[in-house]
Amino acid sequence: MKYFKLIFRNIGRNPLRSLLTSLVTIVLVFVVTMVWSILWLLDIVTTEKSENFQAMVTERWSAPSHIPLSYAEVLGRGAARNPGDVRPLDSMTWQFYIGTLDPEDPSSKNMMFTIACDPDKIAAVKEGKFTTMMEGLESLADGQEDQLIADVAKLKDAPRGIIVGQNHLKITNKRIGERFKLTGVSITKGLDLEFEIVAAFPPGRYDTMAVFNREYFNNELDAYPRSHNGQKHPLADRSLNLMVLKVADSAAFTRLASQIEKSPELSDPAIRCETMASGLASMLEMFRDLIWGMRWMLAPACLATILLVIANAISISVRERRLELAVLKVLGFRPYQIMVLVLGESILLGAGAGLVSAALSYGVINWGMGGIAFSIGFFDRFMVPVDAFWWGPAVGGLAALLGSFLPAWTARSVKVAEVFSKVA
Amino acid sequence: MNNPTNDGPIVRVHGVHKFFRRGSERLDVLNGVTLDVPEGEFLGLMGPSGSGKTTLLNLIAGLDKPSQGEVRVGDRLISAMSEGELAGWRTRHIGFIFQFYHLLPVLSAYENVELPLLLLPLSAAQRKQQATTALELVGLSDRVRHRPGQLSGGEQQRVGIARAIVTDPTLIVADEPTGDLDAHSAKEILDLLCELRQTLGKTILLVTHDPRAAERTNRLMHLDKGLLVEQRL
Repeated sequence: MKYFKLIFRNIGRNPLRSLLTSLVTIVLVFVVTMVWSILWLLDIVTTEKSENFQAMVTERWSAPSHIPLSYAEVLGRGAARNPGDVRPLDSMTWQFYIGTLDPEDPSSKNMMFTIACDPDKIAAVKEGKFTTMMEGLESLADGQEDQLIADVAKLKDAPRGIIVGQNHLKITNKRIGERFKLTGVSITKGLDLEFEIVAAFPPGRYDTMAVFNREYFNNELDAYPRSHNGQKHPLADRSLNLMVLKVADSAAFTRLASQIEKSPELSDPAIRCETMASGLASMLEMFRDLIWGMRWMLAPACLATILLVIANAISISVRERRLELAVLKVLGFRPYQIMVLVLGESILLGAGAGLVSAALSYGVINWGMGGIAFSIGFFDRFMVPVDAFWWGPAVGGLAALLGSFLPAWTARSVKVAEVFSKVA
Repeated sequence: MNNPTNDGPIVRVHGVHKFFRRGSERLDVLNGVTLDVPEGEFLGLMGPSGSGKTTLLNLIAGLDKPSQGEVRVGDRLISAMSEGELAGWRTRHIGFIFQFYHLLPVLSAYENVELPLLLLPLSAAQRKQQATTALELVGLSDRVRHRPGQLSGGEQQRVGIARAIVTDPTLIVADEPTGDLDAHSAKEILDLLCELRQTLGKTILLVTHDPRAAERTNRLMHLDKGLLVEQRL
């Protein structure tokens, strides 16, 4: 700590060089943060858990999956038929509804992906405990849990209510309490729905998702023939896209999956039951090369570049200050103390730039851009997690440490007599 | 000329040889130098360029090691100490004054003087007291916040002297301290060194080309072709 002043002052010795080095580090850490934000979420959702995890039931031979809504009741009890059969701890139906805010311009910026579901599965209080079937919401802060419970109550009270992600508030340019209309596209073409925004999800995982009451969706599907010459909507008999089941542990999952996949009540169309992590991993399989490239080529290339830039800047700085380093040795600084000074300077620069970059990426991407627009599988946008606030300094600091190690070693090895003989 | 305050040698250089290698060529700089410096003496070292003055000074200050022979300062055989031991020893026992001052440009006068104290187990208050006292001794208590670039050559050398004495070292080693100064500033610096010897009883080793500086010493040695010759007592 005694040397901090000296380290800090040395950074300001050549402000232009320090500024340029910092800028390069900020830009590259920004890129690494974006890449890691995407990988972070994908890793979380595809990591297998050993207990109290979710399973996903989808149509076996078709993607996207469409299964009859009548399956929901059977799946809700885990297709249990005999005493001793395993039942899921909880279940949730997911019916997708995709609509555009502007039918004249159904581009991605106007598109909304929503899920019709049972509101009680979004959040509820059971036996005094907060429960949810939506991954990522189980770790909300106490205040946020209470708020979500209140929001779900509003959703149940408002027939056309919808809870939207933070990003939807931006793209619809609406506030809570306002209404908007979606024109059905893709699988839900012909089904136009009007919504009233009752609440917004807490910032984070569900920033780009919206949920509404399945009763509204199913009522509209039922009413569809009345306005279409008696023709049923194509989804009418297969409106359930997937069913999420909560299971106690791996053993329970194995038995449950077997019960479901062998159930005669669930044979046409055939379905499959897999862990949520495995299901999402399968969906992401087609992006395997892209994800591999991001993880093992793009991010490391950025890190290597930071390392080289800092190594170059610190090398020049050490070369310029050989005489000063020799003076420090004359005064009694030990080789390791000289090394600490050089490394400290570099780490302070790298970690500082990393922290600035993390704050910038968090602010610019989450608040300014509404997330990283990167459509992959189920995921449309990726938010920068709060963890980035330690990634940034850690990446910048570590790259700086590695990059400056050789220059610092050179600095510690300065031979006083040699340096002064050249001065003389 | 003042007499030394004590007769006991504080520096003992015995049979020291030093050579450097330049490719396959061997360059002998010191050829069996022997020297005793009593405590409190102001010793001058003169000699032509390349005669080995700075090399001898570096050996005594523990900045280099002899190829052969012994260097003892106080009760320590410094020619046998490791680099790490020498670094710690230098902080406590050697005050070095350079020809070109070599102050750190990013630090103020006060911070430059405080720098060696950072290496000692002292509190911030103790460091402040010692650095302030050193700056007062060299007459720069009104320039403590100035950076080297804002000081004249003479003032910078005073800061250099304050930095050299701030740890209360056993020995002050000065390598042409007036070499970069005008006559007036050089006289002030020499006055200051004499005063330090008189008031604080410091032992000073002065390498110089300047006859006026040499006149101020108690004893003058001449180094030529790696051999030391006593010129004046």
